[in-house]
Amino acid sequence: MTEAKIGVFICDCGGAMKNIDFPTIKGELDAIADVASVNLSSDLCLEEGRAKMLSCIKDENIDRVVVAACAPQLKEHVFQQVLRSAALNSYLMSMADIREQCSWAHEGDVTTKACGLIKMAIGRARLLQPVEQKDLLVKQEVLLVGGGFSAMSSAIQLSRLGLHTTLLVGDSALGVRSRELEELLGLEVAPMTEAIDRDKNIEIVTSAELVGMEGTAGNFAVRIRKGGEEFVQSFGAIIFATGPRTEILPQDPGSKSSTRIVSQERLARWLRASSPQPRPRSVAFVFDSSDECSRLPTLVTLNNALAVKRSWGSEVYVFCKNVKVDSEGAEELYHQARERGVVFLKFEDSPGISIEDGLVRIEAKDVLLGQDATLTCDVVVAEEKVSPAAGTDDLRSLLNVRTDSRGFLQDDNVHLYPVASERKGIFFVGDCRGDLDAARIVADVSSAVMGAHELLARGRITVEAERVKVDPQKCRACLTCIRVCPHSAIQLVRIDSEREVAEISDLACDACGICAGICPAKAIAFQGYSDEQILAQIEVLKAS
Amino acid sequence: MSREIIAFCCEHSATPAANLAGRLGLHYSENLRLIPVPCAGRVDVVHILKAFEKGAAAVLVLGCEDGACHHIEGNTRARERVRYSRTLLEEIGIDGRRVGMFNLAPDTPHKFLDIVNETNETLKELGGGK
Amino acid sequence: MDPHVLVIGGGIAGIASALELANAGLTVHLVEKEAAIGGRAASLCCKATDVCSECSVCVVAQKIREAAIHPRISLLTNSVVRRVSGERGDFHVEIAEKPRFIDPERCIACGVCAELCPAEPKAVCLPSAEAVPFSYVLDERLCLRSRGQDCDLCRESCPTKAIEFEPAGRRRELTVAAIVVATGFEVFDARGKGSLGYGRYPNVLTGLDLEETFNREGCLRLPSNGKEPRNVAFVQCVGSRDESHGYCSQVCCKYAVRLARLINYQIPDAQVTIFYIDLQTAGKGFVQFYEECREKVRFVRGVPVEITQTPSGELEVKLENISQGKASRELFDLVVLSVGIAPRKDSWDLASILGINLGDCGFFDTSEPLNSTKTNVDGVFLAGTCQGPKDIPDSMGHGMAAASKVIQALGVQAR
Ligand SMILES: Cc1cc2nc3c(=O)[nH]c(=O)nc-3n(C[C@H](O)[C@H](O)[C@H](O)COP(=O)(O)OP(=O)(O)OC[C@H]3O[C@@H](n4cnc5c(N)ncnc54)[C@H](O)[C@@H]3O)c2cc1C
Ligand SMILES: Cc1cc2nc3c(=O)[nH]c(=O)nc-3n(C[C@H](O)[C@H](O)[C@H](O)COP(=O)(O)OP(=O)(O)OC[C@H]3O[C@@H](n4cnc5c(N)ncnc54)[C@H](O)[C@@H]3O)c2cc1C
Ligand code: SF4
Ligand code: SF4
Repeated sequence: MTEAKIGVFICDCGGAMKNIDFPTIKGELDAIADVASVNLSSDLCLEEGRAKMLSCIKDENIDRVVVAACAPQLKEHVFQQVLRSAALNSYLMSMADIREQCSWAHEGDVTTKACGLIKMAIGRARLLQPVEQKDLLVKQEVLLVGGGFSAMSSAIQLSRLGLHTTLLVGDSALGVRSRELEELLGLEVAPMTEAIDRDKNIEIVTSAELVGMEGTAGNFAVRIRKGGEEFVQSFGAIIFATGPRTEILPQDPGSKSSTRIVSQERLARWLRASSPQPRPRSVAFVFDSSDECSRLPTLVTLNNALAVKRSWGSEVYVFCKNVKVDSEGAEELYHQARERGVVFLKFEDSPGISIEDGLVRIEAKDVLLGQDATLTCDVVVAEEKVSPAAGTDDLRSLLNVRTDSRGFLQDDNVHLYPVASERKGIFFVGDCRGDLDAARIVADVSSAVMGAHELLARGRITVEAERVKVDPQKCRACLTCIRVCPHSAIQLVRIDSEREVAEISDLACDACGICAGICPAKAIAFQGYSDEQILAQIEVLKAS
Repeated sequence: MSREIIAFCCEHSATPAANLAGRLGLHYSENLRLIPVPCAGRVDVVHILKAFEKGAAAVLVLGCEDGACHHIEGNTRARERVRYSRTLLEEIGIDGRRVGMFNLAPDTPHKFLDIVNETNETLKELGGGK
Repeated sequence: MDPHVLVIGGGIAGIASALELANAGLTVHLVEKEAAIGGRAASLCCKATDVCSECSVCVVAQKIREAAIHPRISLLTNSVVRRVSGERGDFHVEIAEKPRFIDPERCIACGVCAELCPAEPKAVCLPSAEAVPFSYVLDERLCLRSRGQDCDLCRESCPTKAIEFEPAGRRRELTVAAIVVATGFEVFDARGKGSLGYGRYPNVLTGLDLEETFNREGCLRLPSNGKEPRNVAFVQCVGSRDESHGYCSQVCCKYAVRLARLINYQIPDAQVTIFYIDLQTAGKGFVQFYEECREKVRFVRGVPVEITQTPSGELEVKLENISQGKASRELFDLVVLSVGIAPRKDSWDLASILGINLGDCGFFDTSEPLNSTKTNVDGVFLAGTCQGPKDIPDSMGHGMAAASKVIQALGVQAR
């Protein structure tokens, strides 16, 4: 490798760094053999400064650039642009933050520290190599797992954007669950399923199951099982919309099967069609005894309580700990319910429910009145717990992603919200990732559609080529990196008849360097943060 | 031994926190040398040991808050490696308290300052530092 | 040519929308009224203890930066929309940039001007330490020139000649294919609940005051004497779920519980009490956190009707309707009013410029149930809290959804 020609550009930010003696620094840096030019400036990030920087790079044939100025966060992109204008790869620059991290961070003369920081950047710059961009082909097909409202509307929206989708449905038909929720949500499922049936962009595979997945964003190889047969199909992105599961919390073990204690769904069915005769004179709802996930139970209860009032005119009592009104329109529903005469009783400890003389007896301590309330009702609608869909855990391990503290898909990490996963090209929408009401689900769907569109719309995507790269000669195929990569970007590939080695997908890699930090064979190089480049910065310590 | 503290700082958390400290005029000792890394999980045991070999008085690895790592578990990987390098250091007679792992968020410059000050306090006891 | 889109409001919702649109290949003009983008969320604090409390605030700074350096997003700060005509695919927009004394394109934030400014308080300052654009602004009202003095110190000394004393406001005309409205919300003014003593007693603060204090100082002290608070009360639903605000603000319970935990973490022997109607603890990542908090924080049902200050400076909180069913009093040294999300009072101006509707609560109205980004005007979409209360992740999701609806409406097709 021929010696680098380093150009150092120092900016004193219009005189804002008075505690640094710049001429001294220049003198010291000028003495470094491969530093071709040291430039002092006061306005490096402005047009004038950038123009001077550009002509210096060109005139002196600079091939590595060091900028010592403000925090890279602010202006790095501006200086990278200068490099590009000079036909230099933008990775051939190293920045020293002498403003926020030096001049402004300390009192007194900080010339020595500033000089040290610049030397660290020089040490790193010397070893920098270009990173080129390249285009990768992506498969313009989206897989949607789930057959509920989220999955169906995702398919419709993706189709509108010209993307072909496959709906993988566990049930025997689309929208089985959604139909039951039609009234609650005020949406019609039939038009949706009809639209999907007509849509040439949407394929439906029912009674099927996802059993395997390999590959990375842009090209996932998905194994699907249907009717005892398995096939593999390739997709550019996958959206999971597998919904929640509801369980009726056992109230009183003895009374569980009683027709007096029913589920919300059963109540909804009664309300829709065959009302029990005679109509119940009093109905009680119970929810939120565990104070967990009761956003959806609140909504169902409010809707059903109103429906009972409307259809049967019964007395309605609601026992709960908290009315969870943190969704659109919920407070309004709550208000309406109270106006129509629904009585809310707030408890701290779960109420006792028993059957007495064919009626249900509820005992609770009402915290607002501070009294014990005992009530006898014709029907009690039991508490429902919303939890992750069956099979979520299998999906988690199959996808190599994390679930949240309650077992729903998507890790509790704020950087993934709203719909992303730790793997590029995999999205979670709707109630599979938590207790979302319809308004939130609608937003989720559109967000995921946007994500898939961004990845696939052009049929190819531009990535940084081999920024993090495994050296096949050094790799011992120990699989350590594959195990630790948080973005599942590494796969084992066969290079010849004898050897398999780890290979990083440029598209799936998020450039964290965790693999490079752990590889026992030191086979992984991370351009910009390679061992040599990091150690070169430490090296300066001794010199100072 | 020099008086320098080498701080490997995650670019998603500690580096911006340090920048904010500078902007708010929260001053700390000059012996801190910040080396930005894309994730605390990039830091290798070798980097930590080399820093001591070159005479660092202390080494810090600063990453995102627990549960908020941009790369999900880079910060926990880093913690494991810091712990491991501590045992290696102890073996060659360097006090393990000279290497530390801390978590902070990008918008918590005060926490950054506390970490630097705390490290300098430890160094007062151990020798080196400021 | 790829279409241009106008996003009005540079809060987290507008930013999320702009980023998605720009990443989809569209050109975005992001118009922001204030000098810096980021909106309310940019002034909030990190609420982590020794673990992340998932408040999402740190996501905002990152998104702001992404938007600021995106080549297809042009930031028009300090600007408002004056007139809009045309229809979907072809809107003509007139944007007025308020006169600006310091040019953000030229300001390098060296701070020389602020050092020299003789006015007290200084007339030049940074909007915040994290402001984007990172540029000083000059407050005309504080400038000595407004009092007839002939000061010229900052302009003279500015190394980049970024300061101008008689700036002309600028007008811009744009043609855009679609418009996203993301003008956000207003924090409820706690003075509107006079009996709670905000503005009268120094140790009655709002949640927003607390957020800003933590951001500035990293810790909490009593405003009256600078000492550590020992006994703190949070009062929920101030400006939410009442006669004039018939909705839940969706964020206050969560920020209150998180801040309570943070106070308790920093000052372990401080007692923190939260007075509430119903706790809104649903949502990703929150349930477990709340369970942990229950061990440290006291939760009391019922919200205070009156707060008074005793002669010794303590705050007496009068409650009705709590567990015992009778009125009671308790003493605290600090009371935090958990103020909620209210519609912007100036929403009406924009509503009439765009021809979109306002709903009963004062937020922009949606024209279809279950499609809360859609307005009555074709080609105009809503994003974030201007449509109704949302937290940061929900605002971002809504912003992304609006972007999605824009490209669907414009027929941007996969190739
Ligand atoms: C009891 C209850 C009441 C609700 N009430 C309201 C309300 O009043 N208001 C409101 O706004 N929201 C309410 N919601 C929330 C929400 O609007 C609905 O749950 C909505 O139907 C969720 O849509 P989804 O597509 O995410 O899930 P679902 O409609 O549940 O669809 C999930 C689909 O995925 C399929 N599936 C699951 N696992 C797999 C797999 N491994 N492979 C293939 N397919 C799979 C299922 O068969 C199903 O078809 C309620 C939710 C519940 C549970
Ligand atoms: C005290 C408090 C604490 C909170 N804590 C949290 C928390 O911990 N976690 C969380 O997730 N959420 C929290 N929130 C909620 C959070 O602030 C909001 O979710 C978020 O700010 C909403 O973003 P937005 O973009 O919709 O609106 P805004 O942040 O209000 O942004 C709107 C932007 O539009 C601009 N604008 C307005 N009108 C115009 C116009 N006519 N022309 C041009 N520009 C205009 C405004 O200047 C502003 O920049 C909290 C809220 C409060 C009040
Ligand atoms: S950790 Fe290193 S040696 Fe092991 S598989 Fe990965 S690259 Fe190869
Ligand atoms: S750098 Fe990070 S994301 Fe990329 S391959 Fe390595 S561990 Fe995976």
